[in-house]
This record gives sequence, structure tokens and C-alpha cells, in this order.
Amino acid sequence: MTTTETKLFQTETEELISGSEAIAIACALADVDVITAYPIRPYDTVMQYVSKLKADGAFDCDFIVAESEHSQFEIVKHASAVGARTFCGSSGVGWFYAMEAITVTAGLRLPVVAMVGNRALDDPGAFGVEHNDALAVRDLGWMLAWVATAQEALDMALLAYRVAEDPRVFLPFAVSCDGSFLTHSQALVKVPDMKKVQRFLPPYNRGKMQLHPDNPITIAPQVNEDWLMEIRRQTNEAMLRAMEVIPEAYADFKRVFGRGDPSPFIEEYMMDDAEIVLVGMGTLAMPVRVAIRRMREQGKKVGFLRVKFFRPFATEEIKQALSHCKGIGVIDRDYSYGSPSFGGVLYNELRAALYPLESRPLILSFIAGLGGREVMVRDVNEVVDTVQRAVDTGVIEKENTWIAVRE
Amino acid sequence: MTSVQDLPQIRGVKNIPVEEFFTSGHRTCQGCESALVMRLMVKAAGQRTIVLGSTGCMYVANTTYYSTPWVVPWMHTQLGSAGSAATGTAAALSSMMRKGKMKQEPINVIAFCGDGGGVDMGLSAISAALQHEEYNLCIICYDNESYANTDIQVSGSSPWGANSTFSPPGKLHRIMNKRWKKNMAPMLATGHPDCKYVATTCASYGLDFTNKIRRALTIGGPTFVHCFDPCPKGWDYDPKYSHELGMLGVETGIWVMYEIANNELILNGASRAIAKGIRQRKPVEEYLTRQGRFAHMTKEDIEYFQSKVDDSWEKWWIPGLVPFGMKEDA
Amino acid sequence: MATVAVEVVYRGIYQKTLARNIVRSIVFAARKEGKIGTAFGRYGDSPERNGIPAKQFAIVADSPEELEENLAVYQAQEVDVTINVDDTMCKGIESWAWYGLEPINKLTKSGGTIIVTSRQQADALVEDIHQRSEPYNLAIVPATVSFSGLWVYKDDHTDARLLGALCKVCPQLVSLESMVAALREQGMNELKVVSAQKSYDRITQRPVEPGEGSTEIPFSFELPGWKKMEEGLVIRGIAQGGGFRGGELGYEPVRNETFKKWSTRSMRPVVNFETCIKCTLCWLQCPDTCFDVTPDGLYDANMESCCGCGVCDAVCPVPNCITMVNEAEFNDNNSQWEAWQKDPASYKQWMTTLTEKQNAGEERSHGFHHVGGYAEQIAKMGDS
Repeated sequence: MTTTETKLFQTETEELISGSEAIAIACALADVDVITAYPIRPYDTVMQYVSKLKADGAFDCDFIVAESEHSQFEIVKHASAVGARTFCGSSGVGWFYAMEAITVTAGLRLPVVAMVGNRALDDPGAFGVEHNDALAVRDLGWMLAWVATAQEALDMALLAYRVAEDPRVFLPFAVSCDGSFLTHSQALVKVPDMKKVQRFLPPYNRGKMQLHPDNPITIAPQVNEDWLMEIRRQTNEAMLRAMEVIPEAYADFKRVFGRGDPSPFIEEYMMDDAEIVLVGMGTLAMPVRVAIRRMREQGKKVGFLRVKFFRPFATEEIKQALSHCKGIGVIDRDYSYGSPSFGGVLYNELRAALYPLESRPLILSFIAGLGGREVMVRDVNEVVDTVQRAVDTGVIEKENTWIAVRE
Repeated sequence: MTSVQDLPQIRGVKNIPVEEFFTSGHRTCQGCESALVMRLMVKAAGQRTIVLGSTGCMYVANTTYYSTPWVVPWMHTQLGSAGSAATGTAAALSSMMRKGKMKQEPINVIAFCGDGGGVDMGLSAISAALQHEEYNLCIICYDNESYANTDIQVSGSSPWGANSTFSPPGKLHRIMNKRWKKNMAPMLATGHPDCKYVATTCASYGLDFTNKIRRALTIGGPTFVHCFDPCPKGWDYDPKYSHELGMLGVETGIWVMYEIANNELILNGASRAIAKGIRQRKPVEEYLTRQGRFAHMTKEDIEYFQSKVDDSWEKWWIPGLVPFGMKEDA
Repeated sequence: MATVAVEVVYRGIYQKTLARNIVRSIVFAARKEGKIGTAFGRYGDSPERNGIPAKQFAIVADSPEELEENLAVYQAQEVDVTINVDDTMCKGIESWAWYGLEPINKLTKSGGTIIVTSRQQADALVEDIHQRSEPYNLAIVPATVSFSGLWVYKDDHTDARLLGALCKVCPQLVSLESMVAALREQGMNELKVVSAQKSYDRITQRPVEPGEGSTEIPFSFELPGWKKMEEGLVIRGIAQGGGFRGGELGYEPVRNETFKKWSTRSMRPVVNFETCIKCTLCWLQCPDTCFDVTPDGLYDANMESCCGCGVCDAVCPVPNCITMVNEAEFNDNNSQWEAWQKDPASYKQWMTTLTEKQNAGEERSHGFHHVGGYAEQIAKMGDS
């Protein structure tokens, strides 16, 4: 692409790029002002591409290589408070190193957009995908979405700015991309032209919350117990409003760019009349869809529900989608030691979401693909078989199963 | 790089501007020298300034939710983030002005930290900020020589032997803090040769202080000012002596006043007079025995303290700044 | 008896150890009688700021079950006895963590007692305390205020004397015998035991009737809800100042409307405007931005902001131009400069009376320098 950069965003093009590179291009399309980088695999592929775009004159931004992830997130936090559109990201323990800055960004209601290149947490050091890094912010006021393809990464990044910067929301947004499968694999991606992006994405206007001598405000004074509940409540309300803003923005997205699923929150795959439904996030979708197609060919009523937005969690939509099935297998690419049933994080969220249903389907937890281990079609078959057994007998022998782990 | 403001040096205390940009509503201790640092800092800088304050006394005691003492825009930053806060703010201004998203004008960016936030936790972020020649920003460390907000715990900037809630004198160990205070400003000056301005000061010298802030804000690029702040709470003395103890710190040679501007060192005030032999250093005993935090010290402890200060004046390559020399025939 | 609660109202840092000694001794003494208790500082006062009012509590109950109601709270709902260890706080207190002025008798039960260490007469103190509709008693332990720094405790027996007095005014709490046993158990010397006993014997109470006292309506502050609060933790900054008291000349900063420093002072500066040489130092070196610049270039200490540190006095090059005077001497927060403008002769007389009294030495100071200061003061206060 190096030869065409300057013309890159004038017309819609098709590029062979990774998910990381797709997000870097989304940043350029969004005319992001301040970007901070710090090296850690696998997310840093996005920053390599940003720096190249900047070096080649395709993208005018202040690109700062910080001295740690903590500083990386602090810098964009402050830039965002002044009114700049910002981007940063991290992976694994790097995301944890920045955790203090990450949590205050949500507390301050700053619409920073970050990419998480999902990676297993140390120790031991490992580069492969696990979702525990990004999931650590699930309670903090970050919107949190998983994408499955490079195209979706680009699209989600644009949507992220639109939703995060909506004054009704003003919350940070993390786009999660599975390490390696998205960060280091290239696919053909439709790159929209800048004009279209501008039609979809208005400039970031911080309004009366902008830190500037023309608007002399004090931001985040110390509070005591007289105030914090009210402040937390405000953030909770913002997340509630995001539930409305996301579909609204997504409808606009589909109108402007002409693509997208029916729902911004979930993808329903062969769900009509499905008796057994698998649920998962990210690139798990690939082997699962293949397996399901094959089973459907054999007449088995199976489907797949991919959760795109983990926060806010589309409880009603998911309840609706799953209310008629008999058995659910949740495949988590994460772990939650000591949690209820020792199940995965998504499993326990789903179980809580489905609790109010009058007739609850059986729900089983599967831990798979940790540390970047590939999830194969045969693994998916095993999951379906296990759920099927439970449905047939009406008995859950084991609530939690680790898939493809050596004994 | 964006341009800087026109903030001329002030000649004489009577010419210090009357306008206040840090007024009331702060809940600092009686005689808090660091509150004075806040006040004089923005007085020197003026209204077109953004201030970032990292966690510490000057955050917790100064800004209590639902009201503020600040006239200028102010924002909290995390304990170790003074450097990052300044960088992020300056980067946003620079980027948005360049791209036409914000009106062009020089805006001062000041981030402050205490010794805990600066000399300890925030050191790497400050170091990184000082490498960004393209951003105009000033980082001020108000050094009251302990984590005074959290109940006075020893920091890397606490003096040898000082009592603190993490270094209390006890029956077995009289001296719990055996670390000598970090040599912060020279570390930053020597470590960042492209940084145009590093200075030490003390608000007891109001004019010196305001002028150094103005130098730091107008010389261009990232700058660092380290301020010595007597703390009546943690040092344990009558608050009316805050000003006097600041001066005693300088007159005993424990705190050295200087500025390193465009790679040239200038000693200031009493420190200059001491270096030139115009005046004698006062014995450190005069300073130490005025404070409860040293009340447990024995005569030998005071002598040891004196000998360390003597060394810094007599044996260091640059007195009070550079603790090594070149080996003969090296 | 159910539970008995005692609060100690003190000046942060200076009297922290003193307050702690008192509340802990109460719990130890109650234990001697088979009761159970808890001692705690009001969390919001921590981290303490020196001179800023703070509170500690001791709550004693017959059984753990009765005590539970008073656990996991920041302060007692009401107290049987309020111990105020600095009489200037009779005018009310502003914690650094909360807005508004709390009368010193706010938590004192109907018929309860306020014990104050003071050199003033009871009637003078009652004048300072906000009036209320329930009666209470006032008891005075005659003493100069006991201040010390954080690291070096000035043991002038104030703790023992207050504890002795407490046993007398609140017999349902603990007996003097139990208190003495607790003091001994904590290693306090016999002289302190004697101090406690003497105080027990000598303390008297002056009933304060409903409606008696200061008629000032304390500044209060209503907390807004989340719908009214700005989002993003945003607070509007203070407006820029200018001019002086509405005029064009001089300079007065706009000040914070919701947090004042009426009660954070134990002393305040009194200025001799006639000898002032306009050197600017008091104004320049004030950490609290408290000096307004008058049209004639003088500096008027504004009591909204002054916390009484005395730096202005210390830096003033003119002898006796600024004198720090005991806060108890004042009944208002009016401008000294305005009073001087209006009637220079009366002002001079007023000022001279106050400063002479202060300089006579019997009056208060912040009370400590490390070298020598403690020893002198302890000798002076020991057996008053």
C-alpha cells in the first residue's frame, strides 16, 4: 500500500491488511489527533502501521512513543480532556500495567478508543490469545467489543468513536482483537473513503467539559462518601444510554457504508429453530461456523450466537435469542478461577442474564483455546456432543469442561 | 513547536502581579508552603494556563469536590503521571492547533507533583516528558520530603534519619530511614541534555520562585522546577516558621538554589554566596533541631548529617550538584 | 445503660496524640468494669491537616451486641459528652472533608456535657456556642490549649485532667477508680494520676438553658443529587477577581463560596496600618491568598481565607506591625482595614489592647518549637 497512501482515503479501496492495520487505517480516517504507543505483542502491529502512515504523510497526528503503558494511557486521557481525538492500545500484562490510567479514563468520562490485541497474561510469558486481559475492565465503565474479522475491526473502530464521543455517553471504548488471528493475519478489507467517514463521524466536541482557558473548570477534585455514589450513578446512566446510542449509530453506519449485521450487539448464525446454540466471542466464530454448517448439512439443529458487545451487555436481545433453545454451550477463551461452577466469564454472565427466563435452557461452560491454542472443528463437535448429551438426558454431568487439554 | 507566551522576568517584589489564580477553598494545613507554591506558580503563569495536579497533598487537600480554589483550568492526574499529563495536554493543544481544530495561541501547560509522585513514582514519566522537545510544558515538583498527604511516610526524597510513619525511631533502631535524599534536579539535567531548563527553588524566596517559573514557561520545550517546601505537619514545627525554615535549608547548604538554562549553570542567592565564599554555611544543627522529625537524633547523627552536607560542598565536582569527579589520568 | 459515647473535638495533628490518648483510655477504663468499647477517628478528617478541626470518638457498651450499632460508622449519632480541647472551636467547626459549620454542641445529647479546656469564663464560652433548643452543661478544665507536633508529644497532663473531669460529669461511663487503673495500666506516672484525681474533685458544671448562646445561624450546605451535578467530575472554576470591595482600585480575588476558614484559625493577624511600609511580604508569602490589596496599597487580611498560620507575622520586617492574636478575642470576621478607615483612633485603641494582651505572654501561641519550647510550657501548665 506504500505507493498509494496519499491517495488512499480519496476513494473506497480494497486492501490486504491485518485487523491491526485495519484499525490503524480507521484512526487515519477518523483524523485522530493524539496516538500513544508502547511495544508489546501482538497489539503493537497497529502502532507500527500508524507510525508508517504518519511517516509517509498519510496521517497527521501527534504520535508519541511513551515510556510505559501507564504513561501511554495517561497521555491520551489528558489529550482527550483537552478535546483531542485519541487512540492507544495494549495487550496482556501491558494492559494491566496501564490499569490505573484505564480505570480513571472511564471515571473521567473520556471517550478514548483503545485496541486490545488479546494476549494471555504472564506468568509464564505467552503471546497467544486469551480474553482475560480485556475482560479485566468489564466493571469499570469501558465499552468493550470483540470483533471476528479485519473488516469488522475497521468498522468497529469507526463505530467506537461515534458512540464514545456521543455527549450522551462520553465513555471509553476498547476494541478487542484476538492475538495472531486478527493482529497478524491479513485479509481483504474494504477501506471507505474519507468523505463517507466524515458523514458518519462528526468532530469530537467536548463542550462544557473541555479543559481549556476559555472554559476554566476543575476536573476530578477529591470526594468523600457524600459524593461518590452520585458520581457512580452518573456513569451507570451513561452506560445505560449507550444501549440506545449504539443501535442508533449502527443504523447510521449501515446507511452510510452499506454493510453490517442486523444487530450491533450480537451476530446470530443459523439460529432459526436451533435447539443447541453455541456462544462465544471473537475469532472462535471461524471454526464454530464451519462446524455448525457441517452439522446443519446432517440435519442437526445447531446455531451460533456471537457476542460482539460484552459491555454494554445486550441482555434483552440475548435472552430473546436464546429463549427457545434447549441447550447452550458457552465457549470461553478465558478462565475465572474459583468462579461459580468454575466456568468462564462469558458463561457466568450468560447464566445470570438467562436466570429470569421462565423456562431456562440447559447451559454448559467450555474453556477452550487458551494461550492461543487453535480451536478446531473437532473441538466444536465435542462441545455440541456434550451439550446434546445433557439435553437428551436432562442431566448436566459436568458444568464445566476444558476442551483439548492434555490430561 | 507552538510559540510561548511573553512573560517577562519580574524586577522587584513590588512588581509581582496582584492577580490571583489560586484563591480560597483549599483545605491545606496552617503554614503550608506547598499551597504557596501553587499560588505563586499560577500567579507567575497567568490565566492562559492549564494546570495538571498529580495525587498528593496539593490534590487531596486543595480540591475537595463541588468546589475548587482554582481560577485557571485544572485537572487531576494520577500519582506517577505528572510527566504524562503534561505531555498529553501539550500534545493535544499542539495537534489541534496545527490541524485547525483549536484557535492558535500559546497556552502554558504546568503539571505538578509532590516528591512521592515525582522523585519516586513519576520519575520515568517525567524523564520521558523532558525528551519531547516539541512540546512546551513545565513540571514542578513540590518537595515536602515525605508522602505528607497519606500520613507522612518516607519517600526517596526524605532526608536521612527523618521520623515518618514508615520510619519511626524505635527501641532497637533509632534511625530507620538510612537513604540519603535523591539528587533529583541534577539527575534530570544531566540525563536530558536537550532539556533547556532545570531549576531548584524555594517559595520562601517569592521573587526567585516566580521568575524561575516564568523562565521555565518561556524558554521553550519541556522544563523542570524542583521546589523545596517546608511542611509544618510532617516536619513538626510551628507553622509560622515555614518561610524561615525554607531559608535555613538554603543557608545551611542542605538545599542548593540554581538554574541550568541552555546548558549553563547559575547558582542563585545564598547558595551562590556560599559557593563564592562570601558567606559561611550555617551549621545543619540549626536547621535540624528546629524540627520534631529530627528530635530523636543524637549528636553523632547530627555530625554525620553535617559531614554529608560538607562533602557535597567540598568534595563534589560541582558543589551540591554533581557527586563525582574525573579520576586523575582517566 | 446501653451505650455511652464521648467525642473529642481537637485540632488536627497538633492534638492528634492527645485525642487518641483520651479515647483509648476511656475504652481501657470501661474494660475494667467489664464493658466493651471502640475508639476511632472520624475517617473523613484523615489525612489530618494541622490546625483543621477533627474528631475522635470513644463508645462504650455493656455488651458486644449493644456496641454493634456504633460500629462501621464514621461518627456517633449523638454523644453524652463532647470534649473540646481548644476553646476557639466553641464557635463551631468546619471539617476539611465536609461543607458547612457544625456547632460544637451538634452531637451533644440533651442534658449532656461539653468539657472545654480554657482560660476563659463559662459565660464567655456560652456566648460563642450556638444556641439550641435542648439544655446541656458546660464544664471547664482550666488550661492553656495543649498543642504539640506530630512526632513529639507534649505531656502536660491535659489528657489525664480531662479524663478525671469526664468521670465526674459522666458517672454512667466509668468510675474514677477504673479510669485511674486504666491510666496506670498504660504506664502513666503517678503525677498524672494525681492530676486526674484533682481534676475530678474540682470540676464544676454550668447548666446552659435552651436558647442561651450565639444566635448566629451556622453556614450549611445542601448536597445536590446526581441529576444536578455536572458530569465528567467537572466543577466550575472560581471567577477572576479585581478591584477592592466593588471599587476599581486595589485587588480582591473572588473566593470560594462554599468553603470558608472561619474555624480553622486559633489565632489571627492584627495589622497596624499606620506602621505598614507596604513591602508586600505578608501578601506575597501568604499560602492562603488571604490578603486583599486595598486602594491605598495596604494589605487587609480577609478572615474568609485566613487559617491563622502566622507566616505574615514572621515575614513582616516592621516590629509589631502584624501581631497574631488569640482567636477567642474576636466576635466577628470584619475587615480591620475598614474599621481603621472609619475611625483610626478607636481602631488603634482596640488593636493596642489586643496586642498588649497577646504580647504579655499569657495568651496562646501555636505552642511549640522543638528545641526548648516544650519543656518551658510543660513546666508552666503542669499544675494549674
